[in-house]
Amino acid sequence: MPAGRATITADRAAPLAWAAGAAAWGGAWLAMLGLDGTIALAHQALLLVLGVALAALWWPAWAALAGGALGVLAFNALLVPPRGSLWIARWQDALLLALIAATLTVVLGLITGLRRQARQARQHQLQAEQLRQLGEALRDASLPLAHAGALQAALAALTRGPAALLLCRRWPLAEDSVDTIGTADADETAGLWHALRQGQAMGPGTGRHGELDHWILPLRGGSGPAPAALGAALLRLPGPGRGDDALRAHAQALCDQMGVALQRQFSRQAAEAATAQAQLQAVRNALLTAISHDYRTPLATILGAASALQDQGPRLDAQQRGVLAGRIVQEAGHLARLADNTLQLARLDAPGVVLRRDWESAEELVGTVLRRARQRAPGRALRARLEPGLPLLLCDAMLLTQLLDNLVDNALRHTPPDSPVELLVRRAAAAGDAPPGVVLAVRDRGPGIAPAWRSRIFEVFQRGEPGQVGSGTDSRPRSGTGVGLAVCRAIARAHGGELVLRGRNHGGSSFECHLPGAVQPVPAEGSP
Amino acid sequence: MTLRVLLVEDDAALRNTLRDALQVEGYGVQTAASLSEARALATHAAPDLVLLDLGLPDGDGEALLAGLRQRRSAHGNTPVLLISARHGEQQKIHLLDAGADDYLVKPFSVGELLARMRVALRHRGTRLAPAITHHRSGGLLVDLAAHRVQLHGADVHLTPTEFKLLARLVRSAGQVVTHRQLLADVWGAEHVDHTHYLRLYMGQLRAKLEAEPAEPQRLLTEPGVGYRLVEGEPDAD
Repeated sequence: MPAGRATITADRAAPLAWAAGAAAWGGAWLAMLGLDGTIALAHQALLLVLGVALAALWWPAWAALAGGALGVLAFNALLVPPRGSLWIARWQDALLLALIAATLTVVLGLITGLRRQARQARQHQLQAEQLRQLGEALRDASLPLAHAGALQAALAALTRGPAALLLCRRWPLAEDSVDTIGTADADETAGLWHALRQGQAMGPGTGRHGELDHWILPLRGGSGPAPAALGAALLRLPGPGRGDDALRAHAQALCDQMGVALQRQFSRQAAEAATAQAQLQAVRNALLTAISHDYRTPLATILGAASALQDQGPRLDAQQRGVLAGRIVQEAGHLARLADNTLQLARLDAPGVVLRRDWESAEELVGTVLRRARQRAPGRALRARLEPGLPLLLCDAMLLTQLLDNLVDNALRHTPPDSPVELLVRRAAAAGDAPPGVVLAVRDRGPGIAPAWRSRIFEVFQRGEPGQVGSGTDSRPRSGTGVGLAVCRAIARAHGGELVLRGRNHGGSSFECHLPGAVQPVPAEGSP
Repeated sequence: MTLRVLLVEDDAALRNTLRDALQVEGYGVQTAASLSEARALATHAAPDLVLLDLGLPDGDGEALLAGLRQRRSAHGNTPVLLISARHGEQQKIHLLDAGADDYLVKPFSVGELLARMRVALRHRGTRLAPAITHHRSGGLLVDLAAHRVQLHGADVHLTPTEFKLLARLVRSAGQVVTHRQLLADVWGAEHVDHTHYLRLYMGQLRAKLEAEPAEPQRLLTEPGVGYRLVEGEPDAD
């Protein structure tokens, strides 16, 4: 960060400045001695004043003063008669020397004052620039910790000693939630933790532990119900009790910028976590509501039939008992599929789900699904149409058959008994160089789904409302659809595909699972 | 003679229900609620068939299966039927590859269970005795010894690989054969991961042997596990 390089120094006594001052001082003397005899003593006196004043522009105050005193003594010894001694013959010359000394004192005082002011102005400007740069860097940073090194360097440059930082990585505070940058001994570390917890500075000028040879400044996060500090900084001073208040105030300002940035980060994270938690809770509640509704209907049927068999068994004839038992078996099967779907949905929702992909033939998947569907719904018109020469699918066979099972089940339950259901598999339209994908569609001639519901029907807590969505001759609510279709979409997406619902011309729905293509494996070598 | 079944199931309700159902069918049933109990019973009681629930609290059943398979006695090939939950595919396939005979996915009906047991008991002994060489079902006739396949009386020509694949399924007719077993027995152990060979050749076999290849009645798919040739009809003679 640039602010780290903008070092702020108390004085800049560079060799060049010394040389410049010496040149002014020496130049004046060259002129005085070279023009001796040509000009009057008063001219020489003014040259002396000029030389010392010029030197004072570069030299530090003490050097300028010493140079002035030396100049006056040398002037007296070399130029004021009698030459060669400090004795002054005439009272006018004594007055001249006194005037020179007085003038030099005043001039040097003025110049020193001006230089101090200029230096302070420059320092303030640098400090302001440093604050601005750090502030900007932190404002744009999503992770303030990335700029901790820059802050450490800036603080170290301020006091010209190694600095150390203790920073919260996350909130709330814990032993392992802080990062230490730089090195600090046990006492200093204890001081840093104290400043972090209490939010108070210590060291010379702070009113606490003034005897220390370092400052410990809290990284304050600002007002409000915020914690006292989100970190602390250690600035080592040249010696005990050294360091001025203005410097400390600037260091504190730098530290507070980091504190505010950290607090902003933690607030943002807390807000995001709260939002995510609320969404998760909402989804969970909706899921539980949907599931409990879906489970209740078959459970009620099973309980009713089973208790009838238990209580009225002897009074029922064989046919009645058979009907009741058949109903129990049917609804229990429905419950089992519901449980499968619910578990699968939870599994696919979990992060890091791994599919057991293998090469599968669409024909085999469709054949399996048709066979199961015929067992569940004998007598229904079911048909499969497969485009010839379909590519193999790289997919999880258990999941894809579950997807197709659900779609077929859904179509069978929500269309009239005499209405046909069709399973269609075709190549997807080629897209660029990618291997062609495959579309598996389950199509019915039922009443269809209103366009407004077509995307919402996949949400787990949505069930088509009877009447509005239209459940045809079947007046029952679309029990089980919520979880069933949601898991279908989750399965399609887990395969990098998508499940969409399209209305059909002349009525009916088409649930279409689009799966991406895969580069086909090398066929078996050798004998056919 | 009463056939003895060892039922290993930790859920008491399911265990008792199955026990009652099997006793009604005339089987002698011994039950175990844990693998350790099952191992003891398998050694001493010499069951004719083992029903093994996966997901028992004290192990994965592999040791029990290995113990049953290691014995070289007449009981060394006691059929083992796995009872698995819907989401326990990996373990189920692992044990099928390791020599279990077949599986049922919970929940299942008693009818399915009895049918699987019947097939498993019929195959009992084929590991040691001569293998099944005939298969007859719904107009399909396979004679492995004569290398002949007939469909509704007409000869069907199969390529050598197709025939090997069909023959492997015939030897386990009515039972599932895993992808790995099929690939190892037909193509060789180095090809056990080449599932796509199976997809191709099963497609060809179905095209020749099924009336409607998209809806097979004989060569059934067990998604994610393997294939099953439907149980053969008993020979007329």
